[in-house]
Amino acid sequence: MSMIKRSVLARQFGIKTWREFPPMNTSLGTMLHNQTGSWRYLKPIYEDKTPPCQNACPAGNDIEGWIKLLQNGDFKQAYWHLKREQPFPAMLGRVCFTFCEPACNRLELDEAVGIRELERFLGDQVPLSTPHPDLPDGNGKRLAVVGSGPAGMSAAYYGRLLGYDVHLFEALPVMGGVLRVGIPAYRLPRELVEAEFEGLKNMGIVMKPNTPVGDVEALAKLRNAFDYIFLATGVHLSMKLLVKGEDEGRGVLSGLALLKKVAQSEPVHLGKKTAIIGGGNTAIDCARTAVRMGCDVTVLYRRSEAEMPAHPEEVREAREEGVQFRFLAAPERIELNEDGFVTKLVCSEMRLGPPDESGRRRPEKKEGALFDIMTDTIVTAIGERPDFSYLKDAVPIENGILHPDENLQVHAALNGNAKIYAGGDIIDMPHTVVHAVAAGKKAVIAMDCDHKGKHISEVMESIAVGNGSALSFSKYMEWKPVNSVSQNLRKVVDSEKIVYDYFQKVPRTKREDPDADSRKRSFDVYSRTFTGDDAQKEAARCLHCGRCTECDNCLIFCPDMSVLYKGSDRFGYAFDYDYCKGCGICFTECPRHAISMVEEETPVPEEV
Amino acid sequence: MQRTFDIPRELMTDQELLQPGVLSCQGCGASLAMKLALKGLGKRTVIVIPACCWTIIIGVYPYSALQVPVIHVPFETAAVVASGIRAAFDARGEKDVVVMAWAGDGGTFDIGLQALSGAAERNDDILYVCYDNEAYMNTGIQRSSATPLGAWTTTTPADSIKGEPKKDLEKIMLAHGVPYLATLSVAYPDDAVRKFQKARTITGTKFFHLLSPCPPGWRIDPAESIRTTRMATLAKVFPLYEVENGRVDISVQPQREITVKEYVETQGRFRQITDKMVDMLQQNVDKKWDELIEQSGKAVS
Amino acid sequence: MKQVIKGNHAVAQGVRLSRVEVISAYPITPQTTIVEELSEICASGKLDAKFIKVESEHSAMAAVVGSSTAGVRSFTATSSQGLLLMHEVLHWSAGAGLPIVLANVNRAVAPGWNIWADQTDSLAQRDTGWIQFYCESNQEVLDSVIMSYRLAEQIMVPVMLTYDAFFLSHTSEIVDVPEPDEADAFLPPYVPNSKLDVDHPRAFGGLISPDLYFEGRYAVHHNTLKALDVYPQVCKEFSGAFGRDYDIVEEYETEDADVIAVTAGTITSVTRIAVNSLREKGHKVGLMKLRLFRPVPTERWRQVLGKTSKVVVIDRNLTAGLGGVFASEIQAALYAMETRPSIIPVVAGLGGRDVTPEDVEGIFNYALTHDRPTQKPLFWGLKE
Repeated sequence: MSMIKRSVLARQFGIKTWREFPPMNTSLGTMLHNQTGSWRYLKPIYEDKTPPCQNACPAGNDIEGWIKLLQNGDFKQAYWHLKREQPFPAMLGRVCFTFCEPACNRLELDEAVGIRELERFLGDQVPLSTPHPDLPDGNGKRLAVVGSGPAGMSAAYYGRLLGYDVHLFEALPVMGGVLRVGIPAYRLPRELVEAEFEGLKNMGIVMKPNTPVGDVEALAKLRNAFDYIFLATGVHLSMKLLVKGEDEGRGVLSGLALLKKVAQSEPVHLGKKTAIIGGGNTAIDCARTAVRMGCDVTVLYRRSEAEMPAHPEEVREAREEGVQFRFLAAPERIELNEDGFVTKLVCSEMRLGPPDESGRRRPEKKEGALFDIMTDTIVTAIGERPDFSYLKDAVPIENGILHPDENLQVHAALNGNAKIYAGGDIIDMPHTVVHAVAAGKKAVIAMDCDHKGKHISEVMESIAVGNGSALSFSKYMEWKPVNSVSQNLRKVVDSEKIVYDYFQKVPRTKREDPDADSRKRSFDVYSRTFTGDDAQKEAARCLHCGRCTECDNCLIFCPDMSVLYKGSDRFGYAFDYDYCKGCGICFTECPRHAISMVEEETPVPEEV
Repeated sequence: MQRTFDIPRELMTDQELLQPGVLSCQGCGASLAMKLALKGLGKRTVIVIPACCWTIIIGVYPYSALQVPVIHVPFETAAVVASGIRAAFDARGEKDVVVMAWAGDGGTFDIGLQALSGAAERNDDILYVCYDNEAYMNTGIQRSSATPLGAWTTTTPADSIKGEPKKDLEKIMLAHGVPYLATLSVAYPDDAVRKFQKARTITGTKFFHLLSPCPPGWRIDPAESIRTTRMATLAKVFPLYEVENGRVDISVQPQREITVKEYVETQGRFRQITDKMVDMLQQNVDKKWDELIEQSGKAVS
Repeated sequence: MKQVIKGNHAVAQGVRLSRVEVISAYPITPQTTIVEELSEICASGKLDAKFIKVESEHSAMAAVVGSSTAGVRSFTATSSQGLLLMHEVLHWSAGAGLPIVLANVNRAVAPGWNIWADQTDSLAQRDTGWIQFYCESNQEVLDSVIMSYRLAEQIMVPVMLTYDAFFLSHTSEIVDVPEPDEADAFLPPYVPNSKLDVDHPRAFGGLISPDLYFEGRYAVHHNTLKALDVYPQVCKEFSGAFGRDYDIVEEYETEDADVIAVTAGTITSVTRIAVNSLREKGHKVGLMKLRLFRPVPTERWRQVLGKTSKVVVIDRNLTAGLGGVFASEIQAALYAMETRPSIIPVVAGLGGRDVTPEDVEGIFNYALTHDRPTQKPLFWGLKE
């Protein structure tokens, strides 16, 4: 008999010669020795990314994270998770400009998730006076925050979380800045703002109302007494109309002044007829305030409705409450009677010309087209500017605002050791509460890098969220995300990456508000918060873009049985790289783009 | 948390009757189809495999990736070998063992049609699954009677793409009066698993027509394998329905509609398809869908 | 119990006594009455078997491949075109080592359509690996069914028993039909050592590389050769139980023969008469009945045919371009002998043409008077 070669394949089963051949050519083992992972040149990894809502939020609010916790019924856990990136959900849940919802990927399917309403719901789950449960000991450094508006509150909050001894200075007798004296009570109740400050106080932040930092000397003193300073003095100067009759007229006041007085329960008189000049949120706030004071209100704006900077929701509600609008109207002069009281406002008709530097069409006066508005009171709300008198020439001011460096540090020609940072309305135009909150967070992180000697631009890059300027405080603190999955916060999941076939249409949970007639009779906040059931129902509409929800698609679709469920005591799945062929089906069929395909040599991220 | 498909997780994580190390191409629909089939049927199953891709996928002697008994058989005999095995298991008193013939479109629509017709006419108690990748893929992408109109294959090359429409095997099997016929798709795994579970409870010849994507044969990226298959159902090119004792039930209502044109544009094998062919396909698709709608819920006479 | 029954009936009784559990067959003349009778036997409950009434012979063989792999005693029967159609699956079942028994009624192959006796059909399957028996009488046919299962299940090789169309299939003879308990004593139930089993899942007959295929095939060949040792033992046991002998070959008047004829099938019976007649006339002629054809019983053939200097092989079959198969195989088997007889191949009786005792006498006379034929082979009775 000729030489019989051994078979490498069958050796493990003891088939050496034809004699050991099993009957009927039957199999003897599995194919597990065939590690098909060697076929790959691309491999999948589980990698959580940033959803577009978080990317659109200036503060980088980890919306998906707290929505996930809310959905599971862990309301308190969701609340504290929200506060990681945005410390004031009760307030922002009522007044935020809401950059997130227009970016929501659910818009492609039916309607955006009601993120602000959910945030508001969470804001009401824990008493606002509750201090943060995990407060560190002092780190020996002192931080002075000048201005107790949202930027200042944010800086104080994050500063305390990093261990700084924080003193919060406020010129007015009441704390809160624009939140307390700018936004009307029917949108943001006073008690709520006061309760937030209770909470901050209970964290150990020292409150200093009635303590203006009024001039350069005062600022210099601060510089010697503190290690770091954060300027957040906001905008409190109204721009003037610059028309005849403005200064001497009785019954002419600025919008800011009106709101501030009403907020502090100081007497203010508005005539039966009130004309509000301006098209921004301040103008609308004034208009709706005036309605509640019993006035006949007309809002005059020099451009058309489409160009109004005010929130469309606000404009709609104002109209429902009876506010009249007159567009393409600009004031020419104020006519007074012999006692100096306003009798009428003479206006010019405007028309829209070519766009100006803001991109909006420039209003042009129509020659000879004048008309009268009969009115007793004129409220000016055509724009606000910061008051930098306290800085004099110590810090360069351009275009009416401060220009700190990219890390919000202001380089001042002043005495003293403390480094100065600035944020909020004094440094940029967006004028929203959430931008201010974001600035406070960023400045504190910057100063903490300075304190700890970290390389600041590297740090900023490593904690950047999405493709904007938002930062993740959680990443800075190395706190674990909701999912135990590695994150790449730079990658944003746009709607093209969502597999809408895996989602059903569900209408947005509606909020039942009282009608306009009931609303306008009081300053009580009119909008209602979700119930727990409605909140969970609405939260369930979240697509969780870029974040694994253990939906099992990858587990079900893998044709090579190379997705392993980690078990109910851990989160998520692992790839069996011994067998995964890198086909990419898991990547394509993940409804929410929580898997990435990377080059084969890329190391697999550690479990978080 | 929201899970997309109504398949209990334990079904996916408990015993794996198909183990990894299989020789299927990246993105292979047939591999996934077998995984889903065994999830639905469980371990008391015997599989009959004629010449087809699964002859290779299962592995090389002396190894088998399947943890159920398998018999490899000549190309055209899947249905009748299954009948023979069924007779034997009945003689042994093991009537609960499911005998499943697992054949490709070649071994079903063409060379295996006679044996299948014989088994169906006798109403032998077997489950016959045709996993259809729409060509003789195992031998290198040659046309079968299951290849759609307008598709490229090596035997219907670019200058002479397939001019005949796909054979309507479902109608042929229904004409045999089989007690249960169903169409399945790997893109709708919960529907597929449910139908396999149901097959266990029905006596007589059960015929499954399962759409199984083939990335090299359809000229698509492996990562697009499932998505393309889903589009076949959304375009109503491959509607999912079942017929039990003559009663038609549509299993999946497409939640959005796409045209045949949008469907064929996703695959390289349709690159030469003409507008006229697309129109014909669209007409046939619409006609068949209308028929299904009309018949669903009523017994077919 | 002695009965007067036709060959097909004998097969059916043999299948009944063998307690076959799965039968699958497709009708073809002259096998049809096997199918009909088995249908009746199963329907009446005389045999507890499932009868799958398939739609072709290819499917019939495939069905029993299935049932046999599932560990159950299985049977099929066919003839001529049907056997040819089964060809692929005959290879398969032998390569898979399945103990299937097939009864083939030897009938001519088409075209033109001819339903009468001719052995070309089963001889065309000689490469498939099946064990082949050629039967001379209805008794032998019935007994062969039972013995074939004994043999097949012992060495795991399928067995084909063949017999002539109409001469046996539709002709009545006296047959001693054993009692069921006698048959049970001889043929125990089939206990496979490997089968489709959900508790011991295996894959049967899959993809195999050049690395191992050779050894697999060698193992099949080796198993087939075992029949040469195992069959005589089976025979001996059968003889002891039933008093009937069916050796690999049967010798008749061979000891001092000048010419030994080799025949298979019913021509054997005719040849016996011719031998008797010629012996009376003083000619020394003999007969070797060829019963086992595969595996080739080289040693026995040499041992018997070595006794003479002339062998005449009568083939009731014809392979175009070769001649008769039995002659060809016998020539090959005898080639290596130091002294070997000369062989006169004769082809006769194709397509049911009658071969009478006179024909065989004539063939013997030719052999006695010629050293080699004028043409090779000798086409006896060809109308020229």
